[in-house]
Amino acid sequence: MVMMMAPGGTLEMAKTVLDEGADAVYVGVVGWSRRGAQDELNDDEIRHTIDYALARGKEVRVVVNTLPSSTELPMFVERVERYAGWGAQGFMISDLGAMRLVKERLPHVNVHTSVGCGITNYEDVRFLRELGADYVVLPYRLSVEEIRQIKGAGKVGIEVFLFKTPSGGKICPGKCNMSSYFSFRRWLDTEGKDHFFGSASRGGDCLRVCQTEWNFNVDDIDYRMPMTIKTNPALWLEELPDYLAAGVDCLKVPGRDRSTVLVRDIVRVYRRAVDTILESDRPDLSVFASELEILRGRWMTERAKRDNRLLRQAIDESRRVAAA
Amino acid sequence: MFELSTDVGNLKELREGDFSAYDAIYLGDFSCPEYPNNFSSHAELLEAGLQHVHANGQKAYLRLYAVPGNDDLDWVGDVIDTALQLPFDALEVHNLGVLRMLRERGCTAPIHLGVFGNLYTHETAKVLKDHGVTRVYPNPELSLDEVRYIAEHADIEVLVPVHGKIPLVISETCFILEHSEEGAEGGCGEGSCSYQCTQEHWLKRGRDDGSRADWSLKDTGRMTLSGKDLCMVEHGERLAGMGLKHFYVHNKGEAPGYAAAVGHIYRDALARAFAGEAAGDFAPALDTLAGLAREGLCNGYYFEGAGQRYIGRDR
Repeated sequence: MVMMMAPGGTLEMAKTVLDEGADAVYVGVVGWSRRGAQDELNDDEIRHTIDYALARGKEVRVVVNTLPSSTELPMFVERVERYAGWGAQGFMISDLGAMRLVKERLPHVNVHTSVGCGITNYEDVRFLRELGADYVVLPYRLSVEEIRQIKGAGKVGIEVFLFKTPSGGKICPGKCNMSSYFSFRRWLDTEGKDHFFGSASRGGDCLRVCQTEWNFNVDDIDYRMPMTIKTNPALWLEELPDYLAAGVDCLKVPGRDRSTVLVRDIVRVYRRAVDTILESDRPDLSVFASELEILRGRWMTERAKRDNRLLRQAIDESRRVAAA
Repeated sequence: MFELSTDVGNLKELREGDFSAYDAIYLGDFSCPEYPNNFSSHAELLEAGLQHVHANGQKAYLRLYAVPGNDDLDWVGDVIDTALQLPFDALEVHNLGVLRMLRERGCTAPIHLGVFGNLYTHETAKVLKDHGVTRVYPNPELSLDEVRYIAEHADIEVLVPVHGKIPLVISETCFILEHSEEGAEGGCGEGSCSYQCTQEHWLKRGRDDGSRADWSLKDTGRMTLSGKDLCMVEHGERLAGMGLKHFYVHNKGEAPGYAAAVGHIYRDALARAFAGEAAGDFAPALDTLAGLAREGLCNGYYFEGAGQRYIGRDR
């Protein structure tokens, strides 16, 4: 049975998606996931989310997918042990060393490799499975055939996002440091935890510098109108039956950094769509087309607002440093 | 005492360039299999490249394609099979799947992890060491202190880039081709490459008056690099004092002559630092390096700030 996992960017969102039919919720830990603190949960909220989910027979995945500092790893392990003790059934992890430490200490928990692992082929998946991964999350841009090949390479859960970009292009997330090149700060909190501004890999927001207007020039001649560097992923549905037939085990609704009402409505539509597929040999998904189109528009509107806010931060920080 | 290395994409560049300042050469362009006669994707050229480097008394490391999809694994496997028959001093991987392929083929040569291997912690270095990796190129986001920590706590060689542009993002397809007029006629990897990357392509944001941009990036098609050149020539003493020994000059995307000019400056600066000699005046070297860096110099993330900052003499 495929698991539908939805985001809990806030405690309210976490409870909402569980109420709306998600099988599991994933929540980021402040300072330990690839988002800013406003889209992560503190320990009280995580414990509350776990209790709420367990009371309803549902699961919680805790996102600890930063690429940490070496010196943070003991703190990382302590955190994971704490959340597992509270009842979290799985963890999303990017760092191979952290992954091995978790599997050595907590062999019963599910380890999901994160997008930070930058998987591009089925041999990557074999490597990660042998290291102890229970699920591998695939990048947004793989075709159904590529997923089928990966599934055939070995026994491991396949997790895909319910949004995607066209094939090709710059590999993001997983192989990109453009944000921190322009704007980056690091500081320690009172517990000795590293915090970073400007690097999603290290536990902040990606500042979306790819989405500003860039002039592309060759030998000093601009030959395009100003352009963004990367395309953005969009919600998808049409190929979902093929994905499930290819062996996808876990569907991941995106949106930790979106509004609760938008994520709620996305979960509602996908819950119905997944149930329709599971109940029929020839599911008719056309009934969801108009709803999905509206959700795509709302998604883009919220993304644009967020991108503008983050870009402003990147520009301000970059200018502050340049003036210092 | 120390090792200084750089990269060379193909045999023509290897034969025509002056790489005498270097102890070792990374052969191949790991980002783009379409790059003309790229060692990383042309098994038939490996022996000639290897012989040339060894004849000069240098070590030869082969770079393997960094981001192979499922469909690339067969030809990557062919390159590996050829390479394993030759006395390469090391093979460089950026991809866990390719590392696994090397292990399955019984590779006994040292393996280096490349810049896109996402190496952030000593525990990950230990995992990779168990798979035959002897040297790691830490992610550019790490500070010098973090790099040293990994070297000491994983007991592994670390490659420390000291000069040149910083690889920031890699791509599965060619950004230049996709945004050119010809791009509409054929996709990247379909035999339609016209090698427009031989011209310099820049992405810039900010001032439109022809002066240095607020933000700049250099694009080589399948890889985006920092606009500024990482420069650590003023910090050789510190690097030596930290026990770091393997240094690297990034050459991909630069004009002929760049590696030679930069290499001789660093050979001299590092030799002095490791001998404990006074560093002398860096001004002439910095002037030369700044002249080669169209968008200026930076220190990357070594001193815990944004990658494009420079600490040292005002550049």
